[in-house]
Amino acid sequence: MFEVIMYDGGVYRSSELFEKIEDVGGTVLQRIRSSQMLTVTMSIPSEDKEDIVALCTEIGGDVKEVPLAGTEIAVVGPTLGRHHMPHPICDIAEALRRKGALTIVMGLARGRGKATSQISASEVAIINEYDAAIFCFGNFAPCIEAKAEMMKDIKVPLILVCGPPMENFEDYCEATVCGVGRKSERMRSSEERGKLDEIVSTMETVLQERRRTLSEDPLFVHPSEIKQVLENYPPVDMCLRPSPIVLHMDGLRAKIPYAENVEAVGNMEIYGRKLKDIARITESKLDNSSMLIKIKTASEVECEDVCDIEP
Amino acid sequence: MEITVQGTDPFGNEEYEILFRNIMNDMGEALVIEKSHLVLKPEIPLFIFSVKLKSEPENKKISDVASIRSEGDGVHITITDERYAPEILDKMWTMYGRNSVDQQTRFDMSVAGGKLDEVSETVIASGEEAVREIIGSVWRSMPEGIRVRTVFITGTVLTVVATEEIMLPEYRKEGVDVHVMMGGSPDV
Repeated sequence: MFEVIMYDGGVYRSSELFEKIEDVGGTVLQRIRSSQMLTVTMSIPSEDKEDIVALCTEIGGDVKEVPLAGTEIAVVGPTLGRHHMPHPICDIAEALRRKGALTIVMGLARGRGKATSQISASEVAIINEYDAAIFCFGNFAPCIEAKAEMMKDIKVPLILVCGPPMENFEDYCEATVCGVGRKSERMRSSEERGKLDEIVSTMETVLQERRRTLSEDPLFVHPSEIKQVLENYPPVDMCLRPSPIVLHMDGLRAKIPYAENVEAVGNMEIYGRKLKDIARITESKLDNSSMLIKIKTASEVECEDVCDIEP
Repeated sequence: MEITVQGTDPFGNEEYEILFRNIMNDMGEALVIEKSHLVLKPEIPLFIFSVKLKSEPENKKISDVASIRSEGDGVHITITDERYAPEILDKMWTMYGRNSVDQQTRFDMSVAGGKLDEVSETVIASGEEAVREIIGSVWRSMPEGIRVRTVFITGTVLTVVATEEIMLPEYRKEGVDVHVMMGGSPDV
């Protein structure tokens, strides 16, 4: 069993930490260096956690629990206008990042208004690439009811964050957090911080349910195992974008151009099989310089082996 | 600034009062507003925001926001209202040239060749501009999608009526009623 923890400290003796992670068979999920400060999110075997924590403390860092690590979450607002950004959308994204998630903030092209608000098919497709999404609406119940239609095509777990308490939204989203409407300033009062914590814990619950569903028919390999192989692939190794590989719950996103790399990536070997046989590799809808790798479940791979179906 | 809210959504009413106050404070308009009345009908949608100013916005001269004294062959300006510092500097550069203006601190500057009367009477902000800024702040506080707007202005009362699609006569009439209630004229 692997556990995900985050080291937050300085770069001093960090090479020892990386060596230790490698020695115990763990993997670095994310590494962010800012001047002399370093944040490392790592996945390590549970039985070695004690040793890693001891080393982190010895080199002067803190160890934090990151329940949302290994997920990429979209925080969606009606537009990118100043009415909705940066507060509360960026505040919510920040709260999720503090718990280990990778987040993107997205504004819809025509999400403002009541009767005129809409979401395009390409926006839906982009949101569906993530592990989960949060939709942030405003203060008025009639507007939120009118905008609920925008959520109906979203297939990933969805949380609605809005001002007034909303009922009968079970068909549209997994959970609702109310009390956070339009904001003109940073959410920093204790009550508002409490609301951010509530959003994070609701997301944890929703993703736990998703993990449970996935565990009913487990993936053929864990995404971090593919990550380890991909890390040695030169285009990924040389990629300058932040987090060139992003773990999802059922796969990963590699920030390398699809057209140029799909063949090489598809032919990579994982446990004696080609990656294209155990995963679906598609171009990201977000831009043409990323690819999505969705890992097939063990039963799917087994079925294809038996039926000898071309993937 | 006194704010009254009238609307059909209790949660929205409460939140909008806070939002309106915060935005007006951020934009520096809270000081010039005496009272505000907000009508929120999101189900239509119709939003009427009316503000009554403490005084009618007038042209601001340098003498209103700074103290000026003669010094040698020029003048020395000590700015008392920091908001207008960039405009004063800009005007002095335009009138006397950059080489003649010596800005010692953010609030103090000497203008070589400056004439006391001329500098005192220089207009740095027009009343129209101030009204435009207040309207901009009110628009900012309104929901983003409510883009069809009409503005009524009478003396110190300024009312914005906004809806999403068609501005029906009854919406306009409701706006005029609020405008009159706040002390504005019905002939707008």
